[in-house]
Amino acid sequence: MVSSRPRLFTTEAVVLRHSDLGEADRLLWLLTPQRGVIRATARGARKPGSKLGGHIDLLCHVKLSMREGRELHGVSQADTVDAFRAMRTDIGRLSRGLYMAELAQRVSVEDAPAPAVFRLLVNSLGWLATTENADTLVRWFALRLLTITGFKPEFGACAECGDELEPADHVFSAERGGLVCPRCRSQGSDVLQPASLGTIKVLRHLARSDFPAVSSLNIGSEERRQIERILRSHTNSVIDRGVRSSAFLDEVRDWPEVGPVPGGMRAD
Amino acid sequence: MNSNSTPSAAPPVARLIEAFNRLPGVGPKSAQRLTYYMIRMPREEAEALAEAVISVKDRIVLCSKCLNITEEPVCPVCTNERRDRTRICVVEEPLDVLAIERTRAYDGLYHVLHGSISPVNGIGAEQLKIRELLDRLRDETVTELILATNPNLEGEATSMYLQRLISPLGIKVTRLARGLSSGADLEYADEMTLANALEGRSEIARNDEPAAG
Ligand SMILES: [Zn+2]
Ligand SMILES: [Zn+2]
Repeated sequence: MVSSRPRLFTTEAVVLRHSDLGEADRLLWLLTPQRGVIRATARGARKPGSKLGGHIDLLCHVKLSMREGRELHGVSQADTVDAFRAMRTDIGRLSRGLYMAELAQRVSVEDAPAPAVFRLLVNSLGWLATTENADTLVRWFALRLLTITGFKPEFGACAECGDELEPADHVFSAERGGLVCPRCRSQGSDVLQPASLGTIKVLRHLARSDFPAVSSLNIGSEERRQIERILRSHTNSVIDRGVRSSAFLDEVRDWPEVGPVPGGMRAD
Repeated sequence: MNSNSTPSAAPPVARLIEAFNRLPGVGPKSAQRLTYYMIRMPREEAEALAEAVISVKDRIVLCSKCLNITEEPVCPVCTNERRDRTRICVVEEPLDVLAIERTRAYDGLYHVLHGSISPVNGIGAEQLKIRELLDRLRDETVTELILATNPNLEGEATSMYLQRLISPLGIKVTRLARGLSSGADLEYADEMTLANALEGRSEIARNDEPAAG
């Protein structure tokens, strides 16, 4: 028994990951504005009728009352701020939400304030529920997240020598962290991704704009392919062993939207 | 979590503590408590326990049809002639079968997926018993598939995934009603549960069909 009463705190959070713990408890990985990624236990959360259970599902934006712990905090109360329901009922949107949440988790540090990452994830999950352009959102999110956390790819000048880039086709090197000029291209044996002038323009536009400004951007299919490869290679160079949820995203990416299964979600 | 919590324990003791510690839901403290309890246990009792563990490993197999755990090559539910063979209820875990059987409200067959799609943990559809389910749907005379995955994001993802795979086969796909659990206070219900309960509301004027949940 500890003699002093545990310290209590309240926080907003997004549930990034969970696993079962004991008989009916849940272990949560939470993204919070003030403490970054923290881990907490939710007692009884897997029991039906639990006051916590329904609120703390994956990708829920919640308000929590917590008991401070040394490694694990304890959730004592949970209220939903936004469950992003429209995202949950569409497997394509949902797979992208999980991908964004994993990215946020993998670039975050435990117990370090991350208000910008938190805001970015909450806003992006909100847009994900309604946008017609979910792929652009994921690309914009990845760019913004990497920028906030100090892994901004260089699209302005050559990542190697710093020279200004001619308005022309270039190549991207994940290893060197950006576009490289024709002179630096031949040095080194790193994997280079093609980046056409059109691709570079879109990347620069994505990097400096807010999502609403790019949400209806019409990106050509060749540019889309190049941007996807560039961002994936850059992300994988930042995140050890790759992003686990990308396999699921790729599998369901082109599935047509299917309506909810009859039996509970809809009355009609 | 770590074995250095028992630096002074004799090697066999430390080994048992560590073995317990690897079980789900057993922390270092409980692992120690269980170990010291067993040290004081009569030999016959300890042998019976060890034998029970071994026989579970030796005798329990997965039913070749529904993949529930069983002692026979085909489980008692699948061999029972009185079960309705036109319906399969898909669940995540063997324990879910027990829960549904306890209701005595279902007389169809089951299919156990052994998990749910969990991209963040690297668990995809290919790690679940989905191929086996599709094989059954092709071979058998199933007309209705009831999706009874857990009412959380991963369970929903699994259900949506299955629905997408199965709807081209022309089989009716339904799922358990989502709603308020009995005994729960409305004021504590989360947004999703309440919204689902509202959307899945049923008419109460007719008495023949009691509302679920
Ligand atoms: Zn250069
Ligand atoms: Zn069986």
